[in-house]
Amino acid sequence: MPVPFESLIPFAIISGMFLVTGTGIRFAQTKRNEGKVARYSLDDWDRKMLQRDKQLTGTDRGQVDDPVAPAEFKVNSAWKVYDSLRNGIA
Amino acid sequence: MVNPGYKYFKGEDWVDPTPPPAHLPTVDEVGTTGAPLKSAAFFIGTQCKEYNEDFMLCKDENRNPEHCLLEGRKVTRCAIDALQKIQSKCQVEFRAHWNCLDAKNQDFGRCRKPEKGLNDCLFAAFGWKKDVPGAPTNKPQIHERVPLTN
Repeated sequence: MPVPFESLIPFAIISGMFLVTGTGIRFAQTKRNEGKVARYSLDDWDRKMLQRDKQLTGTDRGQVDDPVAPAEFKVNSAWKVYDSLRNGIA
Repeated sequence: MVNPGYKYFKGEDWVDPTPPPAHLPTVDEVGTTGAPLKSAAFFIGTQCKEYNEDFMLCKDENRNPEHCLLEGRKVTRCAIDALQKIQSKCQVEFRAHWNCLDAKNQDFGRCRKPEKGLNDCLFAAFGWKKDVPGAPTNKPQIHERVPLTN
């Protein structure tokens, strides 16, 4: 007797669930990163650079390449607010 | 950024209520974000080497921001000048390179082709060469290595 098709249904269900979670994760990350791939292995430099980018552009992953910053950039830094969190670094 | 303790006051709307004192000279700030800055980093480094070293030595003496304002202004102006030069002559290759970096987690090693275009364009326009400081001199630099395969 050949392999009954009913016995392969669970495999199809399991593979389908992998597809669903993979697609869902990729959709969520793409949405959060404005269509770009998520950044990974971020060190302190990268995190601070990302915060600076947000100050410059207003969005998380936006990038601009004008040499001179807009005038708002001089006064929208909240860095000064938290002296205690900076461990004595100016 | 969220300021803890300011639960109903978003960090994004923050405007500094204490502007710098009037006797300090004003300087424009560098307006490039992370990816273009990383793309231009080695060229800014070679062009602005003296000002950057001055600033670092000054900071080494005293971490107080007030101590190094003059050197900091020079660093900013030099970086803006270098970026303006890149934008004037090689804007297309520059944009291609930093868009590639932005898509690849800002790894130089994954964007060698656009980088080669940018390096060639800048060498033809200004004679600038990308140089990794501190690299061993007895072998080709990492961006000039020819892969064994492909």
